[in-house]
Amino acid sequence: MTSESFLALGGLVKHFGATKALDHADLALRAGSVHALVGENGAGKSTLIKTLSGLYQPDAGTIRLDGTEVTIDGPRAAEALGFRFIHQELNLVPHFDAVGNAWIGRRHPRRGPFIDRRAMRAKVADVAARIAPDLPLDKPAARLTPGQRQMAEIVRALMDPCRLVVMDEPTSSLSEGEAERLHAIVRQLSAEGCAVLFISHRLDEVIDLCDSYTVLRNGRTVGAGRVADTSRAGLVAMMSGGAGASTSTLQDTRSPHPEEAFAESRLEGRTDDVQQDHSNATALRPSRRPSGPPQDVEGGPLFGQSKGRGDKPVLATDIAFGPGDSRFIVSVRAGEIVGLYGLVGSGRSSLLKTIWGATPGRGLIAINGQVPRQGPAGRIAAGVAYVPEDRRREGLANLLSIESNLSLAHLSDFRAVASLPAPSRSKIRNFAGATGARLRLVAGGLDHSPATLSGGNQQKLLFGRWLGRPMRVLLVDEPTRGVDVGAKAEIHGEMRRIADDGAAILMATSDIEELLALSTRVLVLHAGRLVAEFDGPSLTRAAVVAAAFGHAPDEPMPPSERSA
Amino acid sequence: MILLRRYGTLLALALIVLVFTIASPQAFGSTPNLINITQQMALLAIVAIGATLVMVLGEFDLSVSAVVSWAGIAAAALFAAGVAVPVVMIVVLVSAVAMGAISGFLVARFKVPSFIATLAFGTVIGGLTFWVSNGATMFSGIPAGFRDLGRGTLMGVPVPTLWLIGTAIVFWLLLDQTEFGRRLYAIGGNREAARLVGLPVRRDMVVAFALCAALAGLAGLLLTARLGSAHPTGGGGYLLQAYAAVFLGMTAFREGEPSVPGTLVGAAIIAVVSNGLTILGVPSFLQDLLTGAIILAAVLVRNFGRDGD
Repeated sequence: MTSESFLALGGLVKHFGATKALDHADLALRAGSVHALVGENGAGKSTLIKTLSGLYQPDAGTIRLDGTEVTIDGPRAAEALGFRFIHQELNLVPHFDAVGNAWIGRRHPRRGPFIDRRAMRAKVADVAARIAPDLPLDKPAARLTPGQRQMAEIVRALMDPCRLVVMDEPTSSLSEGEAERLHAIVRQLSAEGCAVLFISHRLDEVIDLCDSYTVLRNGRTVGAGRVADTSRAGLVAMMSGGAGASTSTLQDTRSPHPEEAFAESRLEGRTDDVQQDHSNATALRPSRRPSGPPQDVEGGPLFGQSKGRGDKPVLATDIAFGPGDSRFIVSVRAGEIVGLYGLVGSGRSSLLKTIWGATPGRGLIAINGQVPRQGPAGRIAAGVAYVPEDRRREGLANLLSIESNLSLAHLSDFRAVASLPAPSRSKIRNFAGATGARLRLVAGGLDHSPATLSGGNQQKLLFGRWLGRPMRVLLVDEPTRGVDVGAKAEIHGEMRRIADDGAAILMATSDIEELLALSTRVLVLHAGRLVAEFDGPSLTRAAVVAAAFGHAPDEPMPPSERSA
Repeated sequence: MILLRRYGTLLALALIVLVFTIASPQAFGSTPNLINITQQMALLAIVAIGATLVMVLGEFDLSVSAVVSWAGIAAAALFAAGVAVPVVMIVVLVSAVAMGAISGFLVARFKVPSFIATLAFGTVIGGLTFWVSNGATMFSGIPAGFRDLGRGTLMGVPVPTLWLIGTAIVFWLLLDQTEFGRRLYAIGGNREAARLVGLPVRRDMVVAFALCAALAGLAGLLLTARLGSAHPTGGGGYLLQAYAAVFLGMTAFREGEPSVPGTLVGAAIIAVVSNGLTILGVPSFLQDLLTGAIILAAVLVRNFGRDGD
């Protein structure tokens, strides 16, 4: 494949202090190809991209473009070479519209001494017409939907002719429909001769969309080739270093002190989540891979025992939600995992926030038949837990240590003396140690900032803060967004365990595989309204997606729809 | 509601002018008084326009009042030593630019929070000013030619007003019609995005702080010219009022972003309220109370509107 490739990265090495983020990474891209770059979180994908975009300088290795070695000493240089980057965190100026954003850092057209805003708009409209004709050009980015923001970024990238577009997890915050849309654009770019380097944790998407791939593990390229010649399982095996090939560190230490377990796991490096998962044969391990075929879910051994345990609902809501006077009426029993699906903007997140009490709402919510006090504090007291969608913005306090973050939500449980509002450090430490061990948290130390953790471990932290106290209801918004395969499996296992322990789980997700793998029942929201409910044999991928897109399902309407 | 949110501050200005005109048609509403208001607001508005640049970045420069005082004292000291007017002005403005650049460098390069960096550096400048002036008002040797830069009229327009008009036009063009200005808004809106698309973030930040200080220096020179003297804390009153003007202005136009026209409206509100209340004979403590209440009301109206989204 090297003979045809226009861009070749060879033997890239990049150190950060003692850690090797890149350890002889190779990558070769053919013109006009859609190339997948896969690997777990921390495998070096981001570092590789940042090297390509000129933000990092490699310590060793070469970057060859059309056979000539090039140095990329900054974002400008990368842009001049025809490279465009769509980073994982969308990078738009919130109060600029699509036009303003597209022109940032470019030479603006002028009429006399003035910026020619009409010409600016015309040029952007031109580009948008090709790939996203329905993108509103005059709305500030802050008011666009995530999908539209992505389009605005792509429009920005295509303002000048380009040879390579790098997309880092572009579909992680998109709904199914928006992701399809993006795939179409990727194919169009490729047809126009522009290569796309596509980074995604959604392997089905990779197999469906990409024609070649490169797998990184621990900063090293461990596999590359044509997607047609491999399979999902093959990719997973390469990413994780071969199923069953290694032994689990945490499992083998048998250390009574979680702190020591952390020290051990640090030696192993932070990308070992999957290996641990493979070798961990206890009941904590999810019985199937999260990608298991959906029809298996209903008969799964774990759910056979737990489904519908207890007759009384643990969580019951009848709240005003959605347009007009529609209501959201639902009840969740102990041991159930109820999936909440809908397109982005359908109201999943705001619904969870309303149930959580973070957004004021009207109506009734009962936990175990009792109405909780107002606000999140009232919910916590009633045994409700909440894992927010955006771990960086809504979840973690980076100025605090991992252990402080774990104890934050229920500090009063850690009092040294029950009547004094002063937390005991040792109690917090014990809790953090036990929780870290239960979740197999891979951290440099519990006193480090959560910012030092990989995405998967940050996500585990959000679950961990609710463990160790009675949990009746768990509200989860996007349990595994942007998390690698190994951590994803572990988090799914943890959620099943929480359900088995008797909690009712309401889980919003835009990852349909996750939805089907975990849920015993699925509620579908469309435009803020509960439009369908599926369980048992009616729970199929096609039915859920159709309902989410607003196609009339054959199922009986839920009460909220009738009342509206 | 949308109208109130978008143009609430402009409406407020119109309303305030209307109320004072009705309350005191002869004294407040007269043309000479209205022209006088533009003169009274000129120095405040110039300082506030400088603060606008820094606010666009999402930063603060709390050293502006110290720079105003410094510029006045430095000019007076140089005049006392017999230095010529153009040289004095250039030296003073260059020193102000250097001070702003240092603040900007601390913030952009070392990521010191601008609040702390400029508060500390402003204190340093204040100390320097006291040292040069020995803590006393300086008034000897200020030439009449220099004083004319800050007083009198030209074709019926007060000279400070002319300075304000010139400054406002130049900086409106700079912020709204140049790539530099667009870059400042981009940096303020999403610094990481600006960095990732290769904008010279650090350099632009340093330049913005330097320009802010340059305008504070200009205001200091004009203050000394108008008064014919310089006091080591002469600029003290400008800090809070300048930021009040910028905040009021942010509620005037656009998506709540700082802008030069907005800042002018903000400065005008502050000047009109002060002028009108003085004419009506309202005691000065009540003036402060009302000015503060107006600023709070403007910000509340804006946030109230936002919640409705």
